[in-house]
Amino acid sequence: MKKSFVILLIALLVILPIFANGVSEEANEAKTENASETVIWGPNTFGENVKYDPDVEINNGEPITLDYWIWTDDALFTSIMEDYSAVHPNVTINVISNPYTDYWTKLPLMLKGDKGPALFNIHNAFEDNFMNYAAAYDIDINEIKADFDRVEAHEKNGKVNYIDIGLMTSSVYYNKDLWTAAGLTDADIPTTWDEFREVAKKLTIWDGNKLVQAGLNINGCVATDIIMGLNYQKGQTMFSKDGKTCILDNDVEKENLQMAYDWYNVDKVGSEDFGDNGFDSFGQGLSAMTLGWGWRGRYIEYFFPEMNFDVFQIPTFDDNPVGIDRVNAEACFGVNKNASPEQQAVAQDVVRFYLANDTLQKRFNTYMNTYPTKKSIQEDADILSVKACNVLAQNADQYVYPGAMPQTVEDNCNICAQNIFYNGMSIEAALKICQDTINDDLLGTDFVAVENQFVNSDKFTY
Amino acid sequence: MKKKNPLQSNSEIMLRDIVVGVMVVFFTVFLIIPLAIALVGSLHRWNPLNGNYTYLGGENYSRVFQDDLFWKSLIRTFAFSIVVIFFRLTIGLGLAYAIFSKLVKRKNFYRTLYFIPVVTPLIAISFVWKFMYNPQFGVFAQFFGSKINWLKDSRTALFAIEAMTIWKDTGYAVILFYAALCGLPKEILDAASIDGASSGQVFTYVTFPLLKPMTLFVVITSIITYLQAYIQVMVLTEGGPGTETYLSSYLIFNQAFVKYRFGYASAMSFILFIIIAGLTYLAFKVSKDKEKVSI
Amino acid sequence: MINKNTILKKTILFIVMIAIGILTIYPFVWMISSSFKPNPEIILENQTFLPKEPTIQNYVRANRDFNFFRYFVNSIFVSLFVTLAVVYTSTICGYVFAKYRFRGRKIMFSLVLSTMMIPWCVTIIPRYSLIDWFGWMDTYKALIIPLAFSGFGIFLLKQFIEGIPDAIIDAAKIDGANEFTIFHKIIFKMSRSGIASIAIFQFLWEWEDFLWPYLIINTPEKQLLPVGLKTFSGQYQTDYGSLFAATVFSIVPVLIVYFMFQNQFIEGLASSAVKG
Repeated sequence: MKKSFVILLIALLVILPIFANGVSEEANEAKTENASETVIWGPNTFGENVKYDPDVEINNGEPITLDYWIWTDDALFTSIMEDYSAVHPNVTINVISNPYTDYWTKLPLMLKGDKGPALFNIHNAFEDNFMNYAAAYDIDINEIKADFDRVEAHEKNGKVNYIDIGLMTSSVYYNKDLWTAAGLTDADIPTTWDEFREVAKKLTIWDGNKLVQAGLNINGCVATDIIMGLNYQKGQTMFSKDGKTCILDNDVEKENLQMAYDWYNVDKVGSEDFGDNGFDSFGQGLSAMTLGWGWRGRYIEYFFPEMNFDVFQIPTFDDNPVGIDRVNAEACFGVNKNASPEQQAVAQDVVRFYLANDTLQKRFNTYMNTYPTKKSIQEDADILSVKACNVLAQNADQYVYPGAMPQTVEDNCNICAQNIFYNGMSIEAALKICQDTINDDLLGTDFVAVENQFVNSDKFTY
Repeated sequence: MKKKNPLQSNSEIMLRDIVVGVMVVFFTVFLIIPLAIALVGSLHRWNPLNGNYTYLGGENYSRVFQDDLFWKSLIRTFAFSIVVIFFRLTIGLGLAYAIFSKLVKRKNFYRTLYFIPVVTPLIAISFVWKFMYNPQFGVFAQFFGSKINWLKDSRTALFAIEAMTIWKDTGYAVILFYAALCGLPKEILDAASIDGASSGQVFTYVTFPLLKPMTLFVVITSIITYLQAYIQVMVLTEGGPGTETYLSSYLIFNQAFVKYRFGYASAMSFILFIIIAGLTYLAFKVSKDKEKVSI
Repeated sequence: MINKNTILKKTILFIVMIAIGILTIYPFVWMISSSFKPNPEIILENQTFLPKEPTIQNYVRANRDFNFFRYFVNSIFVSLFVTLAVVYTSTICGYVFAKYRFRGRKIMFSLVLSTMMIPWCVTIIPRYSLIDWFGWMDTYKALIIPLAFSGFGIFLLKQFIEGIPDAIIDAAKIDGANEFTIFHKIIFKMSRSGIASIAIFQFLWEWEDFLWPYLIINTPEKQLLPVGLKTFSGQYQTDYGSLFAATVFSIVPVLIVYFMFQNQFIEGLASSAVKG
């Protein structure tokens, strides 16, 4: 026994060095990429209304360090912080990455104490958890409003604690190769749901009783792409007029869910058992179409780089939808109220730097596949070349932003979808449970929906 | 009762006092005080993330009693535990008996073999089984066809979780029962078969009753473990499809660390605690009638 | 008659037991085999048992993105210290309960036993707040100290130590040894198998523990293996190959240790349960 133990130990020690080389090659690649792109900011002030003067010293030129918490996309955010440090070499920003599921557990607790990060990335679904700790931006709100769209959505008492800098929505992703193989062309891209259904049927291949290729795969995305968004096309909102109660249990939702259910069970263009996840199935070339949000495009490019795919706008029921779909946003990072005054001052400066800077805004949006809210870059060619951005660019203001809905809404819609598709529950029953649970969870939060800020909100039926 | 024994040296008193003292302090700090905090907390709406701590009185408890999901999960947890414990006992005892019997050689080999799943970490195993249940490339799909979406079909999902748990934990019962069997007085077993009893009768009327203490031990430790099981659910189904595989501990985990409703979660935990305590007490009582357990 | 019947029974039993044995290890074999398959092969509907194109790329990716070695070392460190703490405290408390007579002994012991019944969900939230209040967040002492005493361990060791003949202890006392010496030199040595049992139990439990390290540890470099595996899977849901490799990383070392010490494992567990 002892001998073998010793041998094992020696073997481990020998193998150790091989594993110790855990340096991420990706990070290295990203760094060299950036090096070729480094722009020297200044000495001139830049920015349209929100301006930034790179000449002004920060923290009296004294060295200072900040922590910045993110949950993913290290390369992108590190590059932004490095650009800032290039202008202010006395500032060091540590980018600390935690996986998404951990992030929302750990971050609020860190912010509560005094060792929390001065800057932190924000997702509006978790607003309730961090809003108490987010400091208001030190920039005149009118300047922000002049440069960015949709600032009102986050305005509280004439100030904002964060704003949205990139928009995304749900679109249809399709596999161009399978499309051509089915004899379809660009002219066949559907604009109505009826046309969509026909196209899906043409893309479906059955071998007797076995589904070989799904025309459409919506596994895992019924909640975010059907329940939370299609309702606006018929002018139905998700929340009551005062924005405080969820009203998902309505006829429009029932109709839409029935349509989705029928795709699988009547039209047979796919199956809830065909692959766990619509996007994986799509990426593997087994499903010709799927629904998804902008960030999915990045996911496909990363995991399935050989895929030949494109995106088209989500179909509507007729030519006059009240709203095309729901829109959600990627936000600018927040400043920690509990950080030291010196750190906060620097953090606020980073925010101003970031918001004033067209290049960085562009970098963020092209990377994230989001459509920028910064007006000055909305017509930029690079932005428009991103497939998902293009969809939004056509008519961005026709999309409805319901507000910073707490995560419970999406979670319960997921449960609702599973109840309908896997548990054989009736659509009415599933929606009722969903609505009741959400309203239960909303008690004790401050959430107020801002659907009435939509440009056509007068056409809404609440 | 006994007065200070002349053989009780000063060092004994010192050791005793230190040990008992530290132990009491430890349990107070890490068990009693948390229990108290949880009890008080269960009377509040308590969200540590945004600092909410408002007094609610018994509202959490009344909501728990009205919470459909809580009761459904509780019943499901019982069902889950009963099924798993039943199979763990029967397969475990069966295998142990087989290994013990004269018909099997290489006893050590089998013991080692069946115990392997027990030592592996539950989380890693859960991931492996999640892949195995995948309707496209999983093992079960290969053998049973991909018509059955094991983890997404409410008819099979709980069963799938049970199957994995049984697979993982049976080895533990095998080892314990085998050890117990080895400890049985051989004379009694031999006497029974010499008297003309068939091996089936020997087992039913002699062996099995003698194994009662071990059976009780396995049952009690199983109850305590399975009433608190949540990792399997967290990895395999996240409670889905819908909420069909919610077990009590997973529900509490979800309320506490996903929704951050510490008050509500604490109320549920206390109710679960009382139930576990009640069951364990019952189990002991049942055994005490037959045997004395020395404390 | 006996011979034919016996051979039949033996064969049937053998087949059944081997079949169950195969069921037992099949998931491991499948896991290892799949970890050497490239992703496109893994998702094929018609699988072959062995990889058609074996690759170690999954391991390369997993190692790059899943800090396995770090997590493994961290887990060993924490599990070891918890085990040592529990072994010591259980033995000494077991000794006090077993061999000393004092007021309230029985009640205290029952209370200690009953702590085993308290479900984790009741105490974990307040413990978490306590740790936060102590300022111990994100430290290993928060992982080790709250687990230093174990009701189960105390119970186990008490049972064992009760079996140690009083005569030996009395002899030492007459020789002039004080209690501390008696405990450390004699009791410890004689409780070896009890200690082995609780050590194994505790090590395994701590090794598997997910929730407490998840809540307490924030810094990725300090994280333990089970939590690491879960978060890794969350991020790389489609990269089945590297998920398999990471899972292999999590399981195989345990198996190696198990095979090396299997006898001690099984004997320890068995003897403790029989005594219990």
